[in-house]
Amino acid sequence: MPSTDKAQIDNPSRDQILQRIRTGLRTAVKVEEPAVAFDPVIFEPVNNPLERFQQECVANLMECALTADSAASARHLAEVLQSLAEGELFVEDDPALRRLVDLAAPGRTIRWSTQGAPAETSQATVTLAQALIAQTGSILVTASCGGRGASVIAPCHIVYAKIVQLVPDLTTALSRASQERLLDHNSFACVISGSSRTADIEKILVQGAHGPRRLVVILQTD
Amino acid sequence: MRVLSALEHTSIAHESWIVKGKVSLFVPCFVDQLLPEVAVDTVKVLRRIGYEVDYPEDQTCCGQPAFNTGYWNEARPCAERFVRVFKHAAVIVCPSGSCVTMVRTFYPELLAKSALREDALAVSSRTYELSEFLVKVAAVTQVGATFPHAVTYHASCHGLRELHLRDEPLQLLRQVNGLKLIEMTRSEECCGFGGTFAAKFADISAAMGTSKAENVAATGAEYVTAIDPSCLLHLQGILGKRNAATRTIHLASILAQEDLPQKSPAQERP
Amino acid sequence: MSTAAQRFLQDAAVKSADLMHREVIRRGMDSYDAAHLKGRARIKDWEAARQKCQEIKREAINHLDRYLLQFEERVVARGGHVFWAANSEEACTYIKNLATRLNVRTVVKSKSMVTEEIHLGAALEKAGIKVWETDFGEFIVQLREEGPYHIVTPAMHLLRGQIAALFQEKLGQKIESDDPAYLMAVARRVLRQAFFSAEMGISGANFLVADAGVIAISTNEGNGRLCTSVPRIHVVVTGIEKVIPRLEDLAVLWPVLATSGTGQGITTYSTLIGGPRQPGEADGPEEFHVVLVDNGRSQLLADAEQREVLHCIRCGACLNICPVFRHVGGHTYGTTYPGPIGSVLTPHLNGIKEFKHLSYASSLCGACTSVCPVKIDLHHHLLQNRRNATEAGVTKPSERLMFRAWRHAMLHPGIYAAGGWLMRKSLRIAYGLGLAGSVLDPMRVWNRYRSPVPLPAESFRARWRRNRAVN
Repeated sequence: MPSTDKAQIDNPSRDQILQRIRTGLRTAVKVEEPAVAFDPVIFEPVNNPLERFQQECVANLMECALTADSAASARHLAEVLQSLAEGELFVEDDPALRRLVDLAAPGRTIRWSTQGAPAETSQATVTLAQALIAQTGSILVTASCGGRGASVIAPCHIVYAKIVQLVPDLTTALSRASQERLLDHNSFACVISGSSRTADIEKILVQGAHGPRRLVVILQTD
Repeated sequence: MRVLSALEHTSIAHESWIVKGKVSLFVPCFVDQLLPEVAVDTVKVLRRIGYEVDYPEDQTCCGQPAFNTGYWNEARPCAERFVRVFKHAAVIVCPSGSCVTMVRTFYPELLAKSALREDALAVSSRTYELSEFLVKVAAVTQVGATFPHAVTYHASCHGLRELHLRDEPLQLLRQVNGLKLIEMTRSEECCGFGGTFAAKFADISAAMGTSKAENVAATGAEYVTAIDPSCLLHLQGILGKRNAATRTIHLASILAQEDLPQKSPAQERP
Repeated sequence: MSTAAQRFLQDAAVKSADLMHREVIRRGMDSYDAAHLKGRARIKDWEAARQKCQEIKREAINHLDRYLLQFEERVVARGGHVFWAANSEEACTYIKNLATRLNVRTVVKSKSMVTEEIHLGAALEKAGIKVWETDFGEFIVQLREEGPYHIVTPAMHLLRGQIAALFQEKLGQKIESDDPAYLMAVARRVLRQAFFSAEMGISGANFLVADAGVIAISTNEGNGRLCTSVPRIHVVVTGIEKVIPRLEDLAVLWPVLATSGTGQGITTYSTLIGGPRQPGEADGPEEFHVVLVDNGRSQLLADAEQREVLHCIRCGACLNICPVFRHVGGHTYGTTYPGPIGSVLTPHLNGIKEFKHLSYASSLCGACTSVCPVKIDLHHHLLQNRRNATEAGVTKPSERLMFRAWRHAMLHPGIYAAGGWLMRKSLRIAYGLGLAGSVLDPMRVWNRYRSPVPLPAESFRARWRRNRAVN
């Protein structure tokens, strides 16, 4: 295969390292058979995903607003945007978001994801999500959700999601991602579980480090 | 040297036929030399609950100091000798978690290629730390002891993490008449002895011992006890240097106490 | 020129006596302990979780070639590059050449212990490239011109007042407060300029996911996110051992890593990256390079007894519980990786002769083994390192002689008993003469910090023999 030959020319250590690995692995490691051969339950099953997601959001210092329909979602979005300083919004270019933002903030300066990366001075970003995960209170975003910067550059990241996107746990989210080959057509994905934070000074938690200080999930239940 | 009866011979061949009421005493080398009263008290306790105690006088050391320092070729002949000395013992009891760990956990590996491998496996499976023997083999927690003092417990590392003895010493202490058990912070943190570590890295060892001594002092207890005499030797030294009020005492010595003691049972200070 | 062992002893002596340092670390570790306990409570069956993680890593390491090739294939298919570096020099040269070719003047770096291991920062600085450490703790120690103190919390040895003073001195702006939130905001403003002007972002990787062909990075601050989103080149520096077989394995590895590392259920950003920006994506780097570093790992792989050391997920839990670490701190080790994992690993990566002392600087308490989320038998590996040092003939001749004499005594009960009696007798005489602690005292190391050991007149054996007639 051409790429391998080229790799070999540019990278002679590659074959040497592989050879060393294969030689090293010729000695098998002795493994004691596990006492019981069954699949234990590692995490408590999530029986009420919505309730659990909301609890985890609180613990993660995220905001989760339940809305009944898109009108309510637009109202909540408007509220959040009004609380922010003046400045450009970066929004994932998606028909649902175009409608929502049109309702919520008609006069606001918008940069759409189809125009490129968010500006450094963006005040907020608005995106969809790939999924929500109840177990850890997380949102799963990919490059398709407005790109990489959309979930980290602005001090406020707003996610617009539907209840049908909520899955109970990480196992479900990741196996679905595998089955749907999510990462074949996305160079990036991220499971986000809160606002950015650090505890590097005296182990004291500081909310808002380099990423967003505020993460808002507008979860529409219809 | 005693002549073994026919019954005892048979009992060694079939492990399940443990000779009821007889144990062989394994005395760690440093207990033999520096803390003989720990062994004396171990014998007292075992006899009080109805066991006959045999002490193979030929024993020297289990080999741990050399083994832990990486000198396995020097440790091996000592281990083999230990196996020969205790080969005919039905049950072996030792008042030291670290020494029992050496025999139970490490002899199988150290002697894996030895001609005495089978004997080693047999001996190691019959070797017990004292509290382990009392609670799990003799099935007693009440040994008729009286010790009306405030006592705190240090969870020696080998007993805790290698032999998985967490409750057994505490079960015994709770049954001691008049004893007030006070829990210390970070009771499971290492005291800092660690064998040759105490000499090679004396500063760190002493710092760890000091932290432990501070936790002991914070309990206000009169005594600190443990199942490992090496921990207690180290702590005794640290506490002594600080002129601390708390004294060290081995679990065996607490359990050996009956009625009100005439004088302090703590180890003598030179 | 002192050896690593001598430097260790000197630094350990200083730190062991430093009560202020001990107090700062104790507070930090108490905080971790409380958080960790809460984190553990979120996992229903912690032992099963450890077992599962051990099995995942065991499968990955024991088929390392297969999984690395699978990973490489997927990354290349997305237009990424994978470079296999035999050692530090090759890794640094590759990255330097890349930077030169692409006119890189500024690099933003998120936390990567492997970049410390290969001394990448120094190599790039020497080539005239400015490197910004963007992890907050790393940023702080970079300003102090020292290495990270701990693999997860690099600045845990510092108090807020010290950090405020540091910023005042080094950042050229007035620092008005030592409040942690204020200091973070200062760092955010400074580093933001770097994120948006740097041509290259360098990150590590917590895991290399073979079936999906992506790297996984677990962070909290968002600096790693910015390093891998804004600059036009993204370089990943990782050890070859970071591989895991499947994306689904992260369902247990992510929570376990976070629980062991910080007590969190999962870190704020659990990021997956598999290549440069793809057609249709709004943003992202134009180039993506993964540098797989060997640097002694394939050699450790060949050691079937210690191969499992490569299972380490760099969570830091063993550092946190280790009483030696708590008393001497991370810098004393003088190695990239401190604590129990560092003591086990460093002789393999950097030579047993120079670094065997770390395997002896332990009481073998086993606490590390009890907390390791992938069940590495750490303290037994320390013991094996000690045995390996003896077998390699690199221990002190005087010590070898001493144990030979010891063996002789222990094989001959008469010699043992006589020797013991003589030791006690002579020490009693010596101490009676007031020689305890003097240069003549063979127990002077003991007596420096402890009151003398008891010296009974009679051994147990002698007493037993004396009483035998009575018994």
